Amino acid sequence: MCFLVFAVFATFTCLGFGSEAKTSFDDKIKPFFQEHCLKCHGKNDKIKGKLDLREYNNHTDLLKDAEKIEDIISVILDAEMPPEEEPKIDEQKRILILDELNNRLAEAIKISKTSSRTPIRRMNRFQYANAVKDLLELRVEVYPLPERMMRDRSNYFKPETGKVPLKLTVSSRPLGKSGLIEPRLAGVAPFPQDLRAEHGFDNRGDHLSMSPFLMESFLKLSRSIILSENFNRKNCKLWPNLFEEPKDQSLLDEIIYERLEQFITRAFRRPVDKKTLARYCSHATQLIVSGKSYQNAMKETVSAVLASPRFLYLYDTNLESEHANKVNEYELASRLSFFLWGSIPDNILIKHAREKNLSKPVILRSQVERMLNDRRIKRFCDTFPSQWLQLDRIISSVPDPIKYPDFYYAPPNYRTTMDMMMEPLLLFETILIENRSIVEFIDSNYSYRSKRLSKWYDPKVEGRLGGPVTMAFERVSINDRKQGGVITSAAVMTMTSGPEETKPITRGAWISGVIFNDPPEPPPADVPTLDDDNSKDLKQMTLRERFSSHRDNPDCAGCHKKLDPLGFALDNYDAVGRWRDKYENGRNVDSSGRLFKKHDFKNIVEFKDALIIEKDRFTKAFVSHLLSFSMGRQLNASDSPTVDLVAKKVRESDYSLRVMIHEIIQSELFQSKIIQVKKE
Amino acid sequence: MKDHFKSDRRNFLRGIGGTALALPWLESLGVNRTKTKPNLRAAWFYVPIGVVRRGFFPNEGGAAIPKFTGSRTEVKKDSNIVTGIHSLELTPTLEPLKDIKDKVTLITGLDRTFQEGTDVHAQCASCFLTSAAPYSVKQSPYPQSRTLDHIVATHLSKNTPFRTLEFSCNSHKDNKESIQFDNISWYDTEHVAPSMTDPRRVYNRLFGREGLRAYQNITDLVLEDARSMQRDLGYSDKNKFNEYFESIRSIEVQMERLEQMKEQISLSGIEEPADAHMPRGEYIRLMGELMVTALQVGLTNVATFMVGPERWDTPYMYESLFGKPRSHHQMSHNQGKFINDLLKVDRFHMEQYAYLINKMDSIKEFDGTSLLDNTIFTYGSGLGDGATHQYSALPIIVAGSGGGKLITGKHINLSKDSGPVPKKSGKYPQLYHGLPLANLWLTQAKALGLQINSFADSSGEIGQLIA
Repeated sequence: MCFLVFAVFATFTCLGFGSEAKTSFDDKIKPFFQEHCLKCHGKNDKIKGKLDLREYNNHTDLLKDAEKIEDIISVILDAEMPPEEEPKIDEQKRILILDELNNRLAEAIKISKTSSRTPIRRMNRFQYANAVKDLLELRVEVYPLPERMMRDRSNYFKPETGKVPLKLTVSSRPLGKSGLIEPRLAGVAPFPQDLRAEHGFDNRGDHLSMSPFLMESFLKLSRSIILSENFNRKNCKLWPNLFEEPKDQSLLDEIIYERLEQFITRAFRRPVDKKTLARYCSHATQLIVSGKSYQNAMKETVSAVLASPRFLYLYDTNLESEHANKVNEYELASRLSFFLWGSIPDNILIKHAREKNLSKPVILRSQVERMLNDRRIKRFCDTFPSQWLQLDRIISSVPDPIKYPDFYYAPPNYRTTMDMMMEPLLLFETILIENRSIVEFIDSNYSYRSKRLSKWYDPKVEGRLGGPVTMAFERVSINDRKQGGVITSAAVMTMTSGPEETKPITRGAWISGVIFNDPPEPPPADVPTLDDDNSKDLKQMTLRERFSSHRDNPDCAGCHKKLDPLGFALDNYDAVGRWRDKYENGRNVDSSGRLFKKHDFKNIVEFKDALIIEKDRFTKAFVSHLLSFSMGRQLNASDSPTVDLVAKKVRESDYSLRVMIHEIIQSELFQSKIIQVKKE
Repeated sequence: MKDHFKSDRRNFLRGIGGTALALPWLESLGVNRTKTKPNLRAAWFYVPIGVVRRGFFPNEGGAAIPKFTGSRTEVKKDSNIVTGIHSLELTPTLEPLKDIKDKVTLITGLDRTFQEGTDVHAQCASCFLTSAAPYSVKQSPYPQSRTLDHIVATHLSKNTPFRTLEFSCNSHKDNKESIQFDNISWYDTEHVAPSMTDPRRVYNRLFGREGLRAYQNITDLVLEDARSMQRDLGYSDKNKFNEYFESIRSIEVQMERLEQMKEQISLSGIEEPADAHMPRGEYIRLMGELMVTALQVGLTNVATFMVGPERWDTPYMYESLFGKPRSHHQMSHNQGKFINDLLKVDRFHMEQYAYLINKMDSIKEFDGTSLLDNTIFTYGSGLGDGATHQYSALPIIVAGSGGGKLITGKHINLSKDSGPVPKKSGKYPQLYHGLPLANLWLTQAKALGLQINSFADSSGEIGQLIA
């Protein structure tokens, strides 16, 4: 067991909670479990959903497991439990038990020792490229980044204006031709892309470790950058103040000292101590003494800085005191910049850190506003939305070319995928930059469309379709609520389909995970398949009818009852996201269902209405995704008070995405660190 | 001057983080020409998503196609082969091994345990070679710890530039799966030894002209930073940060030894791969040749090779098999419909394995034996069947005898009971019916010269395999 210090919770007293928790458990929770839950979760060895309530015999058992309390709350809240065939819980009773459980959750969190710290981690590939570019003030890219799905080809991205232009031109990085012509440093090869964590992001601390292979890549990178033939005065704005030989040779040592102090402070994002600085200075001067030119000596020194762990790693220090719980000003600057810019802090953030006023709420707010209006916020738009929406999945979508021939165009097989994936990304940028409501992700009355995409949704649209190099997009009004928002976008509909047919369960799982931050348990190992034989009967069935065998199988029913209504609500969109009223066999699509067992819907528009009624749940889910991204770690039960607090503020401000970012940053959690002092 | 500094650094490396790094210092660098026996090598060929049992296992050709209609109890194994050593019968999937039949051994009756708590595929590859017994790792949902390749490398790769090399034939361009699906080699819990997937990068790292000498100055400097930085860290971060020291240290060794082997490497005659799309078979064989050449010239003595990533159900082209992109994983869920196509995929993977062992056998060592003779090169999958997702009755083939330590040319059946363990009251009453796969890893580790008595959940050595 490890001993964690988290001063926020240092004030609790175990005894204070004990007696109340005990009565609450014995008088309220335990009888409730017995009446409504135990039948399937423990009685006679029947254990469904891996929950055995016999393990919770008294209040101490229950309080040990905050995550479990949170799970139980969520299934009761979502009316997922008890299942339909069991007696319903009286509404009054439901509210009471949720109250009790929420109170117990709060206590469990307070006494919990579960670690919720982000471990020391190296930069990922995306962050490294940005950090080098910002540090050396490069006018070109360091290396190609397929992570960036959308490229600005018309200089439309001007967050400082608070508007996204009505017309703009973009190109697709991973699929289009244009990726090849991005100006960048010649001869610099990146290390392999960092994979996204399951139901998470590619900046997760537990996924970013070091190995000889990667170390070698970092060493080679650090040199190939400074040795690149177009790493020069023209492409590096820092050049005159770093690599240009000073005229006054008598002051050479002083000038090297001064220049490196500035450079290394920015590279390491914290004040650099005299000893370290002296080491780098003497490295440079010794190289000069040994015959290297000033410029080459400085280049070598810079390459060492780029390979230093103080540059490569993101970490919190234990310098202040053993019990520190607030990040220091420099660490706050780094948290901000890696969250919003995917990179190191700029000089202004460092200046505020030095003046020790960055954490003052007013200054912090104005700095975050500045960062949101800075063009570097594009990096946030390049990472968070595509990973939140799992848009990378569309890169590998290959609809059947015989069934969907017009999906492919122009040799050698460009795919409409390119246009599709831009649409939700442009919606995200608009909501962020124009300070709009996140409810527009569910239902928007506008969208950005290329000609090809407009025609895709509506074959009646005429006009010349764009080619594979650049795509002109235009903001169009959406009057038909079958469209608009991200859920029904062709991108999401296509990537949650197989090559020939839709996959309602995949779609349901996507909504559950992305929109409600409730990813389903992995499917059981022994999942039955749909079409064991190709009998004629099956061909006459609708997808829903074919799935009925799953719903009727008690082993499968649990998940299917949850996922089916979400997925089948979207079955009017075919495997490439186009509207259909009927299946190929002529049967009508039935998209009706009930959301969270309480909102009946007959079609997709009513389904959207139901989602909007549940927008607070979506808001909470969105906050959780964003908070996890901002902290570079998975959330756990102890983070839920922060999620609730931020979600509340977002609700009170018309569901603004910008407010959400501000409130996350203002939260105690974002500004705290946990230092593990010793092994217990 | 330099030497003085190095010995300082060595002492320093030993002291950090409160743990000594159990790494040998640069000893006996030169290739020892006076030795009487070639180096021992070890390699693993990982096949994702299991196999179709009736195509692979002797006596199961007539078994029912798994239908997934219920729990694991219904999946029956029909082999009924008595335990012991049998002559090797080549089933349709094993047929590509016919030319080298007397140098391979089929081993049946080995089981693993799936530790509830993660996706069923997520432990297939990432814990295949693990040295952790099930449920023994507290800080992770995966029973994941230092893998067998790294454990044997401390013994086998004392003098090679690279302690181990990791290959994965993963040509996916999307970012769909996490690291658990693309890696069978792990330094430790949550500490991945990332796989190389791009043949051109592999070539440049192993055989390229550009050495790492130029980085010597840099590593001297940044190690000082690392040392001062480590003092600023909390306890667990200090431990994790050891990764940085270990990586730098490995690279220093690598620099020295690559320099010394320059001539030898240039004699390998391997050419830089072209920068063009390759059909899947060519891509796998090229990656395999890079691995075999690395083992041949002594760049390393230990390697892992994934013929494809686990699960990753994005379709891709198997140019020689199908006209359209296919997903191995999706097909595996529907044997009823895709059994013939799945059998083609299984056979295709076996052909690649056969190609590599034939290649290894064609390479002669100085004493007249072949590279294969001095290697233990194991084919295996994390699942006994891609449809049932059973972690039991695994398909395992061992090629090469590890310098005569293991018997070859046989079929060894270790258990009649190997197979899925049924759940009782929602729990597994026992971990497996057959023998633990870890018994094979223990046997191999000992045959390769390690002095250990247990490995993960092993219950003993496989005596029948020892020559």
